Amino acid sequence: MSLRFRLQHPTQKVEFPMAPLIAVMFQFLFFFMLNLTTFNRDRDLNSRLPVTLPALSTPPLNISSIKVGIRSDRDGNLTQLTLGSKNLGSDDAAFDRLNGEILAMIGRPGNPLASDIEVEIDADFETQYKYVVKAISKCTGRFDPDTKQVARYIEKIKFAPSHKPKA
Amino acid sequence: MKMRQIEMAVTRPDLTPMVAIVFQLLTLFMIILNFENTKSEERIKLPRDRLARPPAAKPEYELVLNFGYRQLPSGERDGSLPEVFYNETYVDVRRIGPHLETEKRVIQRTHGERAIKDVTVVIRADSDVPNGLVQQLIEECQRTGFSKFLLRPMPEDV
Repeated sequence: MSLRFRLQHPTQKVEFPMAPLIAVMFQFLFFFMLNLTTFNRDRDLNSRLPVTLPALSTPPLNISSIKVGIRSDRDGNLTQLTLGSKNLGSDDAAFDRLNGEILAMIGRPGNPLASDIEVEIDADFETQYKYVVKAISKCTGRFDPDTKQVARYIEKIKFAPSHKPKA
Repeated sequence: MKMRQIEMAVTRPDLTPMVAIVFQLLTLFMIILNFENTKSEERIKLPRDRLARPPAAKPEYELVLNFGYRQLPSGERDGSLPEVFYNETYVDVRRIGPHLETEKRVIQRTHGERAIKDVTVVIRADSDVPNGLVQQLIEECQRTGFSKFLLRPMPEDV
């Protein structure tokens, strides 16, 4: 009987280089931290928007319609805001006047009868989109800074058939 | 005079707890990263509005259309007409129809034929875009079969 002995090498501690691993992890960490958005900034304008095509538009039956006109110059700057045939001006206060007129029409915020009323936005082709959004907003309601609540006016909004660009 | 011999030893901090914490932070940020915001387009300056509020209920299916101006590397507009930012390309509003048809086919294939009625088209248009072009975009969507629309402004308090 013969015994074999293996020569054992002395155990060595293998050093694992941690520095590159930590560097990469920190890079990942910063990437995800910088890409993090804690909240979604997008908000919706709470209005029902049954935008109608000119060919498909049918006059609503027994529904009161309010026409808001937004006129502009060739650069899209506001030149006139109208409610029906009433001129509300072209300054910033014009939109507040629109808000007041709409409130006067519906009587009080949240009036259930206002659910049958529809606002038609008739804006020039060139009108900057921000004015249209502002007009929709002013017809939709008002933000009360004291209660931090939104008083709802009219939520049915539609666009009039689009105008042709000014020559 | 007594001289004391000091043995110089290499101090090796224990990195294990730090690595563990970094891993945990990494996992946390990976999980809570909001990928939904990839639909947002930073080049678009949304109109600001006080009444803009988070949607009460998220639409079942939504198609986000970013509509704005091309920008130069300096951040200024390049002077061209506004276009729809679609799949990393710029599409003229008058030529968006075929792309919307593609979207429609994909939606119908994945969610069924009738799903198109439940799709909300979210319009993220730049505040300076002419209203007529926004209406053209909406009309193109309607021709394709989309019927629900949302205008997306930026809340004034942000």
